Amino acid sequence: MTQDVVPPAVHGRGKPPRKDGLAALAFLSPAIVTFLVFVLAPTAGVLYLSFYDWNLLSDGTFVGTDNFDRLVHDERLLHVYGSTAYMALAILAVNVVVGLLLAVLLETRMPRWLRGFFRLSFLFPFVVSASAVALIWRFLLNKDLGLVNYVLGVIGLDRIDWLGSSAWAPVSVIVVNSWKTIGFSILVYIAGLQAIPDVLREAAIVDGANAWTRFWRITFPMLSPTIFFLVVINTINSFQIFAEPRVLTQGGPGDASRTIVEYLYDRAFGDFDLGYASAIGITFMLVLIALTAIQFRLSRRWTFYE
Amino acid sequence: MKTPLRKIALLCAAALAVIPSAACSNDDSDSSAGDKALDIVYWNYGPAAESGNKATADAFMAANPGTKVTLTPVTGENWGTYYANVATLIASGKRPDVMVISGEGAQFVHANNLVKPINDYLDKDADAKTLTGDIAPGLIDGFTVKGDVITLTYGWNDMVVYYNTAVFKKAGLEPPKADWTWADFEATAKKLTKDTNGDGKTDQYGFTWASNEIFPGIMPWVANAGGNLTSDDVCSATADTPQVNKAVAYLENLIKTGVSPAPMPMSDVFTRFQNGQIAMFGAGRWPIATFLPKFKDFDIQLYPKGDTYKTVFGGAGYPILKSSKNPDLAWEYQKFTVSTDIEKQYVGTADKPGDSIPSRRSLAQTISKVGVPPANSDLYYDSIDKYPTLVPYPAPAKYSAFESTVLRHLQLIFAGEKSVSDGLKDMQAELSSIVTC
Amino acid sequence: MSRILARVATFAILVLAALAITAPFLWIFRGAFSASDAELYKLPPTFSPDNLTAANFGKVTDQVPYFRFFVNSIIVSTTITAAQIVTCATAGYAFARLRFRGKGMLFAIVIGSLMIPIQVTIVPLFLVMSKLGLTNTLWSLILPGIFSGFGIFLLRQHFLALPYELEEAAKIDGAGHFRTFARVILPLSGPSIATLGILCFTYWWNDLLLPLVMISDTDRQTLPVGLVLLAGRFSTGSLGTIAAGIAMAIVPVLVVFIAAQRYIVQSIASSGLKL
Repeated sequence: MTQDVVPPAVHGRGKPPRKDGLAALAFLSPAIVTFLVFVLAPTAGVLYLSFYDWNLLSDGTFVGTDNFDRLVHDERLLHVYGSTAYMALAILAVNVVVGLLLAVLLETRMPRWLRGFFRLSFLFPFVVSASAVALIWRFLLNKDLGLVNYVLGVIGLDRIDWLGSSAWAPVSVIVVNSWKTIGFSILVYIAGLQAIPDVLREAAIVDGANAWTRFWRITFPMLSPTIFFLVVINTINSFQIFAEPRVLTQGGPGDASRTIVEYLYDRAFGDFDLGYASAIGITFMLVLIALTAIQFRLSRRWTFYE
Repeated sequence: MKTPLRKIALLCAAALAVIPSAACSNDDSDSSAGDKALDIVYWNYGPAAESGNKATADAFMAANPGTKVTLTPVTGENWGTYYANVATLIASGKRPDVMVISGEGAQFVHANNLVKPINDYLDKDADAKTLTGDIAPGLIDGFTVKGDVITLTYGWNDMVVYYNTAVFKKAGLEPPKADWTWADFEATAKKLTKDTNGDGKTDQYGFTWASNEIFPGIMPWVANAGGNLTSDDVCSATADTPQVNKAVAYLENLIKTGVSPAPMPMSDVFTRFQNGQIAMFGAGRWPIATFLPKFKDFDIQLYPKGDTYKTVFGGAGYPILKSSKNPDLAWEYQKFTVSTDIEKQYVGTADKPGDSIPSRRSLAQTISKVGVPPANSDLYYDSIDKYPTLVPYPAPAKYSAFESTVLRHLQLIFAGEKSVSDGLKDMQAELSSIVTC
Repeated sequence: MSRILARVATFAILVLAALAITAPFLWIFRGAFSASDAELYKLPPTFSPDNLTAANFGKVTDQVPYFRFFVNSIIVSTTITAAQIVTCATAGYAFARLRFRGKGMLFAIVIGSLMIPIQVTIVPLFLVMSKLGLTNTLWSLILPGIFSGFGIFLLRQHFLALPYELEEAAKIDGAGHFRTFARVILPLSGPSIATLGILCFTYWWNDLLLPLVMISDTDRQTLPVGLVLLAGRFSTGSLGTIAAGIAMAIVPVLVVFIAAQRYIVQSIASSGLKL
């Protein structure tokens, strides 16, 4: 994090001036009030529910840590965590790596309108609803009658069971979700690339560095805070995907493409097992927090700040 | 000093205090309504649901001056999320008088003590006798849980095979007969499976079924093999019996031999049926609302006979909720939903057909007379009247968990990743804790 | 020679990627104008201008109160966006420029709030709303969207990167925090605020879960629910109509995007999304 950008000239080293406290409260109050009522209160509600057995209709019964005991012995949960992690990490990798590749390619010389056209097409899917789009993909990816396999057939490939097989169903979710999100990653990369001073690259060219060396010596380090931002944001988002597996594969076959949020949603709204769903929710939040904390810790080794 | 934190704490307290104080203000509004008011909750699955319920409510108010019917449409992507959203409404303090449920929900509302059984009304109300005499006994039994009659059924569906008449004609096949067998069916499906564009790959399939539902999916096959997924009292799972094995193996073989494509959800099947990529599929009466008036090249036939023939069906009704302050009026409303005028809506017209079968025989028999396709429409009601071996749709109280578990294991079987017997064994093991009484 | 090859490869990759990304949309728009559902699934795909029709759009407005939904969606999305900009800008300023106790902890909470999926909290959230007596009103869709950990984070990063010199000048003139914020910081933050606004707007424009749970009156529903209604029970709706509905929901956002395209890139560039 860029904690050091606050120049000492303004805020001295000593104790903060007292009036900042009041001002801070005033500035923070809209956020605090909405946070308390619409984020913290429901989250506290989830924590509370996780100690109850409640099906929405009955009166809840306090069951202590039963829900958490159950969670430890839930074999499906472990499996679902596994498939969630697999899909999330793949989506993350596609966004961070392919996104960077496309952003760098977009930097090559080309007419303005063409650049605009590419950017716009990459951003297109970002503006539409995930469930609507997944519905369309479901038709296109159909094994025996879908357009995608038809095109593969024309070039002589066999039909792939995109939505029905354990091997391919998660791949479909990865493809469809990455397809939707990559435009945003590309845009953030473009922004990061534009912020790199041209002088640095020109100096490297004068020094005779080739494109490859220039990328690793200049672009990558200068871009590392942007990459880190995308890693964190994409991790948080990709671990929470819901609409794509639900519409495309219903989480199947088996649990091959089920995500933790979908599993939790089914426990809550399918089984009316609110207590257990809440316990899963609590552990899931802890996992995400731990993941993010680890990323921040690791980032110190590879991000570069001017 | 700790000024900010203390202020924040104060603010927290203030913000949280808003919640209980506001709570007092909203609850009274509902209870102050008059004696002759009804609040009706229904599933708003689309424009037809809204207009239909509105018409019924308006007609009821016109027929019963002084009554006030409030409709509460509840959105949901399927019956399951609809129930969840109704439960959330009730949990938040709303007390509706009547809610629409499907057969899948009968055990659920009974187990949660939500509905007031109508047995007393059926005994005392003179009209009731006339009505129930015109309703197939199976439809009443289907909504009876442990002796309690949950509701009268206004509309229902049984599972029949839809076939594309144009595709049959092109393949030179005669329309199927009601007494066809599994072997006939397979032979017919095979003849309908073709590579029409000559690229060496099949692009027209004989038959498929819905991958996302059990009812129009495997259930008719399981029933005609003589089995069911649960015991008759819906108290224990019976998913790995030889009968279920036989049915699932039959379907799996259709995929393996290339007569059926990889299973897809119901809506995808509809579309592919209309453009001839699928020659046959199974469903209730609801597809015709999608097909008509544009697409008419279809007809229906009973499911082929396996070791037996049994009709699989499920209905829907407007049960009276325990929370109702006007149960008598609610009963009048329920009766009204099966009255002749309202039932006519479920018959519909050729351009705007109903999306389920009217529960009253006398009205269901008018479908073919009114000229609502398909030609074989009389089969819908005949299947429950003339084939008395009925299989009520297996819907345990934990229906949603039951359905998702069955479908999840079937996915693995139909993807060829698990053998039929192993898959059903795993299914049974998991279901045994879900299907209980 | 190798340079030409590299250029060819570059454009080949870009064109392929653009094609892969836009193709499904072309399919949706084609579906929206298609006279028959059956034709939509012909393999190989066929295209004949005779079979084009605008009737599907009429069917959308026949089947659902599209314009009502549209207005509701606009009200919800713009109100959330405006409110989010206020809460995030003020909070972002406090985190970037003010010194107070518990700042680190509060900021960690802000980041932590990103880890709470709404599917987890939806039931308690519904109960909070019903206690407030706001379920089945547009407020139940607006209020939960106002706080945004991401938005606060985004604007804080931007404010941190602003030079201090201008504020110094304002301070010397005797401006308080509020004046500094309103007169110096905000005018310099147009691009970042626009970025937040666009991201926020598109997110809530497409949100399906909240209206499904919170709203029961059809007249108060939003466009994504309209799509669910068009899809119908067991998704039995006509595909042409659904495609037309999707197209009608996309187009307004798309128009904004195309009009503001260059500005969006610049705004993200200058808001410096990084950690």
